[in-house]
Amino acid sequence: MKRILAVLSVFVLSLSILAAGGSGEAAKDDPIDSMALILSGPANDQGWNAVAVAGLEATAEQFGLETTIMENVSIADSEAAYRQLAAEGYDIVIGHGYQYGEPAAAVSHEFPSKYFLATESDSYSDNAASYVMACEQGAYIMGILCAGMSESGTIGVIGGFEQPSIIKEVEAFKLAAATVNPDINVMSIYINSFTDTNLGYEAAMTMINHGADVIYQVANQAGNGAIIACSEKGVYCCGNSYDQNSIAPDYVLSSTIYNMDQVMKTAVSSILDGTFTGGVYNLGMDKGVVEIAPYHSLDSVIPADLKDLVSETVEAITSGELQVPVIAEASK
Amino acid sequence: MTDTLSLIASFASSALRQAAPLSLAGLGVAYAEKAGILNIGEEGIMLGGAFAGFITAYFTGSLALGILGGAAGGIVISMIHAFLSIKAKANQTISGLALNFFTLGLTSFLFLLAFGQGSSLPSIANLKPVAIPILSSIPFIGEVLFRQNVLVYVLYIAIAAFSVFFYRTEWGISLTAVGENPQAADSAGINVYRTRYLACLVNGIFGGLGGCFITLGQLGYFQEDIVSGKGYIALVAVILGRHNPILIFLSAAMIGLAESLQFSMQAMGVQLPSQAFSMLPYVVAVIVLLFSIGRSTTPAAVGIPYERDKR
Repeated sequence: MKRILAVLSVFVLSLSILAAGGSGEAAKDDPIDSMALILSGPANDQGWNAVAVAGLEATAEQFGLETTIMENVSIADSEAAYRQLAAEGYDIVIGHGYQYGEPAAAVSHEFPSKYFLATESDSYSDNAASYVMACEQGAYIMGILCAGMSESGTIGVIGGFEQPSIIKEVEAFKLAAATVNPDINVMSIYINSFTDTNLGYEAAMTMINHGADVIYQVANQAGNGAIIACSEKGVYCCGNSYDQNSIAPDYVLSSTIYNMDQVMKTAVSSILDGTFTGGVYNLGMDKGVVEIAPYHSLDSVIPADLKDLVSETVEAITSGELQVPVIAEASK
Repeated sequence: MTDTLSLIASFASSALRQAAPLSLAGLGVAYAEKAGILNIGEEGIMLGGAFAGFITAYFTGSLALGILGGAAGGIVISMIHAFLSIKAKANQTISGLALNFFTLGLTSFLFLLAFGQGSSLPSIANLKPVAIPILSSIPFIGEVLFRQNVLVYVLYIAIAAFSVFFYRTEWGISLTAVGENPQAADSAGINVYRTRYLACLVNGIFGGLGGCFITLGQLGYFQEDIVSGKGYIALVAVILGRHNPILIFLSAAMIGLAESLQFSMQAMGVQLPSQAFSMLPYVVAVIVLLFSIGRSTTPAAVGIPYERDKR
């Protein structure tokens, strides 16, 4: 009896998956009421992914959506993840990271009534879109701040993987640093990991030993190790993804903040009011998606003219007067 | 000149910092393998130690208790492996792999239970370097070797103790006998099961210490999968070091050196793709393995459960 039940339930399950896949136009009338989030690492990484989870919660609350999260999804599993979540009936599936763009567009054709989103990517289709956060704008500001705070004339930036979404931050950082001090030496290290905190720690140690006295990190969870190294060596640093001042209050000058809730709310409201079209959308400081964290207790350490320069640059970027270029190729 | 020397010294201490957790774990693995216990689950043991060490230090506020907690965490995971492979006579490769996944899930779950989800990082002050009087004032060597945290000194002592124990004591000989030919050891009156349980205990202690070196000695916080593969690298160090405590340390140091070297080269702006740099430690490991072909030191009975009534 048990076996028959099991076989039956598997049969019903597969039928329902088929139905979800083939429903097409008919399902368009269904209300949009659920959303799933795909993450590259753990949800509680106190960084990149935690920011996305917070964004999902805020969005769900505003629009009354049912949500789920899939953690630790590797690149190889990402197509399957999109497919599974769509088959389970989630109306909107969003992958948080550059690597999820291609899979989103690929799977989107199989589920024409669902919406497939990815952040930081460049792929799209009729029902798939990429939302690019203008992270380079934040990195540009950090470049000005780090270069302005450096006494040794050497600063460093630590990147996770050498991929477009990280390279654009590293390059914008270098560009901005040179505008403050044309002779500045900006070291860059890609540690090829978003999760190995030890590598972030050792990369920062290496830079400090080579004379760097301010360091910026763009390496998600692994970057937290860089902040620990800086606080150990008494070197200033800048954080990423959210306000990281709490990790080392005496050393984290400021952080680039990504307001993922703004990204998701923009996407969901366009879907709900029927204005959604597939494409690549750039969201930056003007939309409130990218922000700079306050200086907290280090406010008195930063010279007034540097603070002025930072706030002027933020204004120029927000108003569109200053365009920070997006550089996809790493320079050495 | 002094600048170059201090740069080399900081470079060497970076290598030592990366070698220390690998060597601590490696010593434990070598002990277990000498007794005939294969432990692919070293990654899990280190993760257990890293987590237990952090959580103990966080809630008691004492780093000393944290270190003890780390060792205990390693023991718990290791003893599961001991039970499965000695008592239940399970396939040790499968048991070890299962332990790795089990520990990854368990520590992440417990961490979530203890601290919840959020964007603040629960952290503690980590172990500070302690300068050994006199020795630390030796130029260069003192700076590299004797200005480290207490776990590094534990490592030095353990290397010396294991070197004597493995090759100069009757216990060490019995251990080797159990790993090479458990039947013969049994007939000679050595308790094979007890020796193997003890080996797993030692492996747990040192794997746990290696794990809490990362959370207590270096970072001062815990995150999911914080060991990120170092348990596997420790296994490589044991094979490269051919189960010899000093050689294990040197192999781990070489892997650490390759890692520091790739960061230094990137920081100095050497024109190469970063992915090529990240390969370096593994390339070094493969090359050394090539040179040691045909000189395997793996004990004959590694991975084979001992059954008393079988021939």
